[in-house]
Amino acid sequence: MTSDLFTRFQGLLETLAVTPILAIGLTLGAFLAGNWLFARIGRPLWLPPVLLSACLLSGVIAILAVDYQDYQQGALWLTVLLGPATVALGIPLYQQMHHIRAMWRPIVVTLPIAATMAAVYAVVIGWAFGATPEVLASLAPKSVTAPIAIGITEQLGGSVPLMMGGLLITGVVATLFVDLLARLLPVRDERILGFALGLNGHAVGTARAFEISHTAGAFASLGMGLTGVFTALVLPLVFRL
Amino acid sequence: MSMLRGFLILVLFFILGESMRVLLALPVSGGVLGMVAITFTLMVKGSVSDDLALASQGLISVLVLLIMPGVVGVFFTADQFSGQWLAVAVALLAGTFLSVLTTLVLMKLVTAGGVEHDE
Repeated sequence: MTSDLFTRFQGLLETLAVTPILAIGLTLGAFLAGNWLFARIGRPLWLPPVLLSACLLSGVIAILAVDYQDYQQGALWLTVLLGPATVALGIPLYQQMHHIRAMWRPIVVTLPIAATMAAVYAVVIGWAFGATPEVLASLAPKSVTAPIAIGITEQLGGSVPLMMGGLLITGVVATLFVDLLARLLPVRDERILGFALGLNGHAVGTARAFEISHTAGAFASLGMGLTGVFTALVLPLVFRL
Repeated sequence: MSMLRGFLILVLFFILGESMRVLLALPVSGGVLGMVAITFTLMVKGSVSDDLALASQGLISVLVLLIMPGVVGVFFTADQFSGQWLAVAVALLAGTFLSVLTTLVLMKLVTAGGVEHDE
């Protein structure tokens, strides 16, 4: 009896997996559950909703024994929207243009150096510890916002899943390190803290910056956008050498 | 409806970006080219329509949802990279610490030296 039911259950999963609706349902459900759980446990800095949601989603996929390739195929209906979402980042960039003008000198000096070093530190350390070129190509765009980083990693020949994992960890630890170093150095200018959060910690850092203040959030979006564009333009050219 | 109009503009700029990437053989993703193109278009135009602002806010607020399928992949392709986890962990932790330090120190130095003269 039970084995009958089990066979039918497997058949059900196969039927649902034919269309993308199962993958979309699982992703949406995990996303909302992750956000709900995050609010319930008091919004801890070290455990952002994206990490919670990703763990929930992986758990459910593993328990249901859904083939990861099938899931990815169905989820394409969501990931295809990353293209227009990247374009959408241009709108806050335009809206904050007066901030860029007011602080153009520190931004122009810091951005190229800091964005380059963010990639260089990771690649050099990884190389020193014996990482393969594929892994290095996945680590290089670790401070770049996801939709842009996916494009860069594909160009460099890295692994997108590994890059996404690294991106997530980078975002979380960048947030912790900015808080720590701001106290040690000390740095109190919200514009600088926001810029550092966005430059190093992309979307995760930007979300944290908006918790500090609106100005910090604006500078984080700016740092995130500029790092994305700069790295996307420069890294593929440098990596080819 | 207005959100859909804004979404259409974003899609058109993405297609424009992809066309530029393929036709000019550029090493940058179509999304980034589209983002640069729309920023410059808005700067020339001097304002952003409510439709576009609404659609972009909507998409940016669900960015995490859109990247989740990719994030999940790290759990399922893990064995491909066995033996390299130490390198990955050290590169991410130490690398991020150093890059945050670099950014803060640089910004602190440059703003201390320059901003007063600009205002």
